[in-house]
Amino acid sequence: MDRECVSLLPGVCEVLADPGTSLPDDTSLEKLLDWFTGLIEAGGSLLEACPCLLEFISTVVHNTASDPGVLSFTLRLTGLVSATEDGFKMLQERSVLNEVFNLKHWQEAGLWEDPCLRIGWIQGLRSMLQHPEALSFFVQSAFLDPLLQLQTDTSLFVASAANQMLAHVLLFFQPVSSPGCNGVDKKAEDDGRTHTSAEYTAVVTSISQYLKESLVPKENTKHHQSLQILKLLALLLAKAGPPLRDKLLQTVGDSLEELVTAGGSELTLPLMDVVLAAYSSGTDERVTRLLASMLNINKPADLIHAAAAFLRRGRCDAVHTARAVRVLLLPLDVITGQSLLGTNTTADAHQVSVVEQLKSKTPCISMICVCLTNTPQIALTPSGVLPCPPVLIITAVLSLLSICSGVSSSSSTGSSEVYRNVIGNGKVQKCALEALTALSSSPGAMEKISEVFTVLIQYLDNPDSDPTVLHKSYQALLKWTSVCTDFSLVTDHLRHDLIEVVKKRVCDMRWEVRDSTVEFLGHLTGVRVSLKSVEVCDSSDVLLGVCSTTPLLKEALQDSESYVRASAIAALAKTLTHSWQQGAALTQEETEIVSRLLEILSQDTEGFPRRAVVQYFISWYSSNSSHLPLSSSGSSASLLMQCVRSVLSQGSADLDWEVKVHTLELAELLLDETFSAHQGYRKGSDAHRAPSHPYGVVSEQAHTLHTHAGTHTEGTESDLATVVEQGVMSALLSGLVDCDRPVALKACRLLITLRETVCTLSLGTLDATASMATVSCKLPGLGWGKEIIKILRLKRSDRAREADIAAQRNLSDADEGGESVSVCEALRLLGLDERLDVLTQSSDHIHNSPLSLLQDILTASAAHTQPGEEVIVDCY
Amino acid sequence: MKLYCLSGHPTLPCNVLKFKSTTIMLDCGLDTTSVLNFLPLPLVHSPRLSKLPSWVSKDGTINLEKELKECAGRVFVDSQPEFCLPEKELLDLSTIDVILISNYHCMMALPYITEHTGFTGTVYATEPTLTIGRLFMEELVNFMERVPKAQSATCWKNKEIQRMLPGPLKDAVDVYTWKRSYSMQEVNSALSKVQLVGYSQKVELFGAVQVSPLSSGYSLGSSNWIIQSHHEKVSYVSGSSLLTTHPQPMDQSSLKNSDVLILTGLTQMPTANPDGMLGEFCSNLAMTIRAGGNVLVPCYSSGVIYDLLECLYQFIDSANLGTTPFYFISPVANSSLEFSQIFAEWLCHNKQSKVYLPEPPFPHAELIQTNKLKHYPSIHGDFSSEFRQPCVVFTGHPSLRFGDVVHFMELWGKSSLNTIIFTEPDFSYLDALAPYQPLAMKCVYCPIDTRLNFHQVSKLLKEVQPLHVVCPEQYTQPPLTQSHRSDLMLELQPPPMPYRRCSVLNLPFRRSYERVYIMPESTDGQFSSLKV
Repeated sequence: MDRECVSLLPGVCEVLADPGTSLPDDTSLEKLLDWFTGLIEAGGSLLEACPCLLEFISTVVHNTASDPGVLSFTLRLTGLVSATEDGFKMLQERSVLNEVFNLKHWQEAGLWEDPCLRIGWIQGLRSMLQHPEALSFFVQSAFLDPLLQLQTDTSLFVASAANQMLAHVLLFFQPVSSPGCNGVDKKAEDDGRTHTSAEYTAVVTSISQYLKESLVPKENTKHHQSLQILKLLALLLAKAGPPLRDKLLQTVGDSLEELVTAGGSELTLPLMDVVLAAYSSGTDERVTRLLASMLNINKPADLIHAAAAFLRRGRCDAVHTARAVRVLLLPLDVITGQSLLGTNTTADAHQVSVVEQLKSKTPCISMICVCLTNTPQIALTPSGVLPCPPVLIITAVLSLLSICSGVSSSSSTGSSEVYRNVIGNGKVQKCALEALTALSSSPGAMEKISEVFTVLIQYLDNPDSDPTVLHKSYQALLKWTSVCTDFSLVTDHLRHDLIEVVKKRVCDMRWEVRDSTVEFLGHLTGVRVSLKSVEVCDSSDVLLGVCSTTPLLKEALQDSESYVRASAIAALAKTLTHSWQQGAALTQEETEIVSRLLEILSQDTEGFPRRAVVQYFISWYSSNSSHLPLSSSGSSASLLMQCVRSVLSQGSADLDWEVKVHTLELAELLLDETFSAHQGYRKGSDAHRAPSHPYGVVSEQAHTLHTHAGTHTEGTESDLATVVEQGVMSALLSGLVDCDRPVALKACRLLITLRETVCTLSLGTLDATASMATVSCKLPGLGWGKEIIKILRLKRSDRAREADIAAQRNLSDADEGGESVSVCEALRLLGLDERLDVLTQSSDHIHNSPLSLLQDILTASAAHTQPGEEVIVDCY
Repeated sequence: MKLYCLSGHPTLPCNVLKFKSTTIMLDCGLDTTSVLNFLPLPLVHSPRLSKLPSWVSKDGTINLEKELKECAGRVFVDSQPEFCLPEKELLDLSTIDVILISNYHCMMALPYITEHTGFTGTVYATEPTLTIGRLFMEELVNFMERVPKAQSATCWKNKEIQRMLPGPLKDAVDVYTWKRSYSMQEVNSALSKVQLVGYSQKVELFGAVQVSPLSSGYSLGSSNWIIQSHHEKVSYVSGSSLLTTHPQPMDQSSLKNSDVLILTGLTQMPTANPDGMLGEFCSNLAMTIRAGGNVLVPCYSSGVIYDLLECLYQFIDSANLGTTPFYFISPVANSSLEFSQIFAEWLCHNKQSKVYLPEPPFPHAELIQTNKLKHYPSIHGDFSSEFRQPCVVFTGHPSLRFGDVVHFMELWGKSSLNTIIFTEPDFSYLDALAPYQPLAMKCVYCPIDTRLNFHQVSKLLKEVQPLHVVCPEQYTQPPLTQSHRSDLMLELQPPPMPYRRCSVLNLPFRRSYERVYIMPESTDGQFSSLKV
């Protein structure tokens, strides 16, 4: 433990023990507990490291005037300390445990009423119950009964904690031999502590008995206790080993059956959870019977949820799966009139009640949505279990979609009252579209592709489709396109309709719709399809024709909404990637797009399109550089390099930090391209993995400096000069002094990589080779340039002092317009390694340390005792 | 109490209510769908139309060479278009005491009633209804009179001949009662009988009945009417809307506790949501302009056009249509655009408050100022010199049988780059397009009907709880083409009383009380309610 923290802890304990003091914020005590937990998990003894804690616990417990929050904290702290046998013994010897967990003491002090204290009591005990001595203490102190009472506490948090605690006691102390047991190790029994086993048995018996007696509600309205018990049973049965499982089932089996028979709606799902937990951990006749009963309950809405829960659980036998499938398909069968259940639907005795239920809007929507959500899984069940071919399920979903949009009816038994509930219902439409998307991978799906396209195009064309429905329709269309193997099934008529509807939607009034459409166009070009007659090509060409996409996207670059502009840029990049990769010459249209993009980068007021522009050039550069040398004189390559220069200079001067990071990514590509042939150069992507979130904490190991012992290959100097000329160096240096950490971090890493590659001499040596020293970079006299010059001058004067050299001769003095610096020299003098150390730490690393927490508590207390002084809290 | 139903058109009603010794005509709608049977009236000579072959029956026995022409398999009457008038034979229309007008769409038959039936009563309407109704009538007369057609076709109306004609002419009803358009003189005379009323203003009719207009939210000055005696209340609900468009919102609460509610004027497009249609309108318009084509919007000169222009005002910039000219061509275009800005008290709250800023309530003023919207009385004159393509043209008549729209159909119909977007719900777009076939231009049907839909009206009726509802028979069953859509009909308890053209309904009215005044000479001056 940090010595400084240890020295502060007694003061903190004193503060906490003083009822009059206030804490900096509500989370302080939680953070303190987290810190203690961390220390224990690291293997330290809390009491040895912080002996003051013992006194603190004793003091607080005896002072009933303490704040309930601090008391709760103390109970939980005591639990933590006594979680080890040594800690337990120490507290036991000083009689602290009896005092801390003495229920009567808290009740008499009137503090038990506070849920905060009750939860502290439960959690303290739970932390403590990690060894047999603790169990003995628990049993001897007769804590079981109060704990069982707390299971139905008025506070939901207390009740839930009590449930967790009961489950912990039963599961943790299960006999070792039980498979799945995570309880005490075998050592306990070897030690001859058989009395623990006896105590455990007694606990099991008591709890089981309690469960049995309380499971079935005494009055119809009092479901709370039953609900809690069912939750506990589900927890237990999911993890219990066979003896405990059998014992529990033996005791509560009758009550469970009684509950299933009673069929209370509120309890259906928790009851199903219990039955499924029992069923998953092993089958016996009783459990199977319970499951069968659950899948035959009378209330359609409950039944469908039970069936869905069963199917979701995964471990299914054919008989029950077949039953669950029938239950789930019935509403769809009724509404669409598709014979999903075969002709023998009379076997489904509850069909009439399902139809009745479907006539009311809320249950109808709910049942249909549950049914739809499960259709993809149903379609994948073995054919022996499925009452119809999987393809019929797709037909039914399509039919439902048509009914929902009001365009068709079915010839089913479903009355018009049912249609009324689903026509135009967005929720059902979305669920059905999601189901249709997932059903694309079900057996035989391909034969439906034409119908699927027809319905989806109808949805895209429907003026009443809301933006989410349209988005989902596009997603479904993409998914079905990606799995399509025979595009001859998509007729020319459908293709024409699709082109027309896409053209229309690109002009939609709602920007969300325009955005979805533009995104769709981009994704569609990304879907590579193989045709029977032709080679592999992108699906956009097949469905929309070769020339349709780019003009639409080009138009969208002018959109008034920034998201749409950004999506259009991204889609254009996807659309053109293929031609870039093939090295095709730029068309007039593409050249116009490029100038428009540069215009967006320099003029657009929103960040999203500007980010997208830089990414566009990253894609272009990546696709192009794979087959064309940088120096290629082709018009395409020369335009690209011209643009890259422009993007680097504009992107690094952008106000948006993400634009700047993307610009540095482009710079990184240029570095990779230029120096990849040099021995020892590590490509940026190999060198260090950027954190998934740029503002996230990065471990220090993420970046290890490369030390390469290789020699320079010829041409490094000219390569370096090229990179400088392209503006890479300026982008990196401006990034280095950027106020946004992710930008500075990225730039710093790239500069270190560059230094490692071009500066062969060990750090700190000034004897750069003459040739390398000639490559210089011009820094502007303002902004980032000024800052870099300042750093360099400071470093130079430091070095001058150290080496007793008056001044650097090889660096020219700053003129009015800035300064030219040797690149190598700058790379050495900028203190990149120290900067990297600072930048890799999370921006809140100082404020999150335990030391800071302890200091905060002390400061808050000091402020409280000196009321004249106002504390200024830095909210940032 | 009796209700005489003189019109079968649910949104262009004409009913007569006999209530407590008063005879009240409720609306005076003119069914103009009859004009679809006629050939268009071109503004300039159309070689195509003039060369259409005459229709001859298969056996050659009927040859009305001058009257019937054939185009793309359909037969059209080559004559001045005629309208289907309200039924005049069901009762003596000279006995009508008052005519209550709900909105400017429902008064177009007024001159036929007031000028040719011996009518001596009063017509009640709000100021915007009268003003815009006059514009509509003027426009109609203008459309007809500027392309005079000497020929009047009557032979085809002969029952024996009509029976032999192909549909839909064969199935047209009461063709003998169809009449040509009225003259401006008749319009002026009819409108001189109108007395203006304001919302909630109570008008006493002979001391027996009180009538009062309520805002119906459908169009400028549109109203529903309350007709009540001391103990009975009849509500007349005509075109009403709950959508937030430009008019004052609908007054629903005053409809409560009615003994009978006569419900007409529901949306003609129950499956077309106005918002969705507006979206379709905009995206199709933008799509056409981007592709270099022109857009033709056949529309009335008032009403939805204000909302379309407002919507376009917001859409133009986001769709990069800033440089596209928008033209509004109608003999009354200028008046319509200007009148809309001065009826502030009849507008929704948002628009009313703009007047105090001061700003024009409708943004089309800005469109006109910035030269994005230009309006002309006709295609002749200034328009022809300033006309620039690609453009968007709003013009009438929505039936495509007369007005400037006929010229644009001839001009743009051959190019697939151009689009015609139908926004008015009154005419079947396929029937409207029939005499222009074959047509290359793209057709988009975006009917925008803001009137109450079945869902809204069911909710409204649940709230106002009338004892009985009377409505056109079309509302009591799902549309023929969508028989499964039970959500597209009225389901009420007790079931609504349906009516059709020429129905006479005895309204289920149980008059339990009657107020009787007893003169001071016979008693000591008290009066009381007596049970009758």
